[in-house]
Amino acid sequence: MQIEKKKIIVACGGAVATSTVAANSVRALCKGQGLDVEIVQCRVSEIGSHIHGASLIVATSKVSKDYGVPFISGMPFISGVGVVETEKAILDVLKA
Amino acid sequence: MIVEKLALGRIKLGITAATQEEALKTVGQMLIDSGLCKESYLEALVKREKEFPTGLDMGGFGVAIPHTDVTHVNSSGLAMAVLDKPVTFTLMGMDDEFVEVKLICAMAIDNPNQHLDMVEALLHLLRDKSFLNDLAEARSPEDFLSIIRAKENSNAN
Repeated sequence: MQIEKKKIIVACGGAVATSTVAANSVRALCKGQGLDVEIVQCRVSEIGSHIHGASLIVATSKVSKDYGVPFISGMPFISGVGVVETEKAILDVLKA
Repeated sequence: MIVEKLALGRIKLGITAATQEEALKTVGQMLIDSGLCKESYLEALVKREKEFPTGLDMGGFGVAIPHTDVTHVNSSGLAMAVLDKPVTFTLMGMDDEFVEVKLICAMAIDNPNQHLDMVEALLHLLRDKSFLNDLAEARSPEDFLSIIRAKENSNAN
C-alpha cells in the first residue's frame, strides 16, 4: 500500500513573514525525518479553502475556527522557546 | 546580515509614544521616509497589528516585529526603535495576552519567499536577552548598529 503524502497547512496573518519561517522549519523537520509532505502556506483566513485532505494545521496566529484537523501553534519557531516539544507534537500527528 | 538591512536613518532611540499606534507610526514613518515603503504602509501596519499582533516575549524583554502586506512595500528592509517607556502590545498568536514592548523592529517585506533569511536572522538575534538589553541602552544609532554588527560577527564565528 502506498503511503499517502500528508498535507500540512502553515498559516499566519498575512503569509508574509512568520508563516514563511514556520513553514521552513516544518519542511526541514520533515525532511530530516524522511517524511514526504506537502506544505501549503497561506493566511489564516484562507485555511478553509486549503483544508481538504490536510492532516495538520500549524499557525503563528490564532485560529478560532475548528477545522476538525489537529492544530499546533507554530509560535515556538518564532520565539525559539519550546521548539523541541513542538517538533515532537508535529511528528506525533504526522506519524499517527 | 541584519546590519545590511538597517541604516542610521532607520534607527530611533528613546522615542516616546503614548500608544501602540503612535509607536508603530514613528517606526513605520522611517521606512516611508527612506523610500522602502509607500505612504499606505502606516495605516496598513496599524490595522494589521490589531488583527494579527506581533508582540514577542523574549525571556522577559518585550519586542514587536510589525509588518504588513507586500503591496505597501517598495523594497525590503528594517527600521528599529527603542522606546523610552514600554508600550503594551498583544502577544503574537494571542488575543488576551500582552507584553510590554521596549524594542520595535518593523519589517518591510516585498516578497515573502525572498526574505526568509532576513526574518530568520532577525528572530535569531532577538533571542538573546542580554543583547536586547545592550541595544536598549545604545547611546546613538551608530552605537546601536555596532552592537548588532558585533553580535552578528560573533554569531558567525
